[in-house]
Amino acid sequence: MIELVHVEKTYQADLATPFTAVDDVSLSIAAGKLTVLKGPSGSGKTTLLTLIGCMARPTSGRIHLHGLPEDTLPELKEGDALEITSLPERFLTAIRRRTFGFIFQQFNLIRGISVLENVMLPTYPTGEDHQRVEASAIQRLEALGLARHLRAPVDRLSGGEAQRVAIARALINDPLVIIADEPTAHLDSKLSEDFMELMGQFKSSGKTLLITSHDPIVYGSPLADRVVEMRDGRIVKGS
Amino acid sequence: MIQHPGILALLLASGLVSLLLTAAGWQGFQILRGWNLQSGSEGQLDLERRTYLVSTLVTNALVIQILSLFLFIFTADGLHAQFVGAMCAAGSLSANAHGYPTLLIKVATCLVAGVWLILQRADTQGHDYPLIRPKYALLLILVPLVLAETWLQTSYLVGLKADVMTSCCGSLFGQGRQGLASELASLPPRLMQPVFWISFAALMVSGVVLLRTRRGAIAFSVISFAFLCVAVASLLSFFCLYIYELPTHHCPFCLLQKEYGFVGYPIYGTLLGGAMAGLGVGALAPFGDRKSLTSALPRLQARLVWSTLFLALAFTLIVGIWMLLSPLKL
Repeated sequence: MIELVHVEKTYQADLATPFTAVDDVSLSIAAGKLTVLKGPSGSGKTTLLTLIGCMARPTSGRIHLHGLPEDTLPELKEGDALEITSLPERFLTAIRRRTFGFIFQQFNLIRGISVLENVMLPTYPTGEDHQRVEASAIQRLEALGLARHLRAPVDRLSGGEAQRVAIARALINDPLVIIADEPTAHLDSKLSEDFMELMGQFKSSGKTLLITSHDPIVYGSPLADRVVEMRDGRIVKGS
Repeated sequence: MIQHPGILALLLASGLVSLLLTAAGWQGFQILRGWNLQSGSEGQLDLERRTYLVSTLVTNALVIQILSLFLFIFTADGLHAQFVGAMCAAGSLSANAHGYPTLLIKVATCLVAGVWLILQRADTQGHDYPLIRPKYALLLILVPLVLAETWLQTSYLVGLKADVMTSCCGSLFGQGRQGLASELASLPPRLMQPVFWISFAALMVSGVVLLRTRRGAIAFSVISFAFLCVAVASLLSFFCLYIYELPTHHCPFCLLQKEYGFVGYPIYGTLLGGAMAGLGVGALAPFGDRKSLTSALPRLQARLVWSTLFLALAFTLIVGIWMLLSPLKL
């Protein structure tokens, strides 16, 4: 479970024009469920995702992670809650790598290298056995119907294919939580529905899913266990 | 004389370190006053972010601080030709009243800086800033020491006047004179040799006991500091005599000269390094109950114990080999 307590994120706090992107958000996100953050552009959804995913630190407030495996950090015991906003950077990196898988709106694939290399990329800093990682990446790409594109540069992929590569990359470290930021923004309806079907499979396998979207295919999906509506950095519905 | 490269480097380094540590000390004071990890307030999160920067700055400043001790000795040795009567750093340091106090305070800050770096290392092993308060409390002790050192060193270096009549090391560390240096040099080798070997054995035994039982960290720390004192006294009393092959020359600074293969640098490096590691073992001892350091702290302490023992052994081997190869027999 992910628990947010009075989280606020203000940009340019020291300047004359501070901007509060997330304003006093308290929220509990259940493990093994699909939670959708819904809201218009500028409502603070993406900022909130970056805070939960340890990519940014809040200006104030705390975020607790429950149910992490024992070996996530030294001295962490099964059942201990871990407060992530105060973690020193080296521990935060470990959490980011092992707990979260990210699917970005623009996919953020590295152009000029192959599909397989893109998927394997997040494992390089972990020093895992290359052959085992490669086998795992191939297995995931095959499961997503990308077997024939393994060695192809990502530049040649269609939007739907590129997104599936991004999904395979998000899964390569076998994360507990999958975070997707506007994943269907660049997809047509058919591909969006395919995406949600995939999310359903991950949910069945026990993953926690957190998706931001203002696409009705996503927040209206029967797979969504909870829809949290945001506006102007605050939760207005579903907290 | 102020245009000497060594003097310029020392003045620049001490000014920089003082500036950085004063700023860091203020941050440390804020952290000691307002730190509350349970709070998610803006102020607390700001302190958490600032502590990365402060720790990094202090770490770099203290590495410079430790290295500056050796640069200071090297510079003092290099300057001796400027003074009438000086044969080595001993004479340069007595060229005015601030020389020896500067050296003593530099040794003290070097040891405290070493302990701070060890606390900093331990603190970064835990995910919840387990040693943040002791670390910054020690920093607040270190800041006035470094500022005092900067003042003393500046007074010494700026106050150096060429062609001043000063004393040679034979006179300063000669037997039968007044003062601590002379009294240490006068300690009879027959007394100091067993004292040295007993303290060496005590250090080794206490280290092995600590490694095996994980008990006696404070005792080990005290013994390692005692070993430093005994080793310096032994150096003055008899090791120097073998190195210089002269039964009357007790100077601890001529060792730093080319004629003796610059052997003083490894000798003092191993002694100070060993003392820092040994003191670090004791400094970490009260924090064994910090939950996030349960496994990291014993590992770090064990590494420090091994370092202390290795450096003490290295020191003993260096001086022991000189002793064995020396044609002088006492």
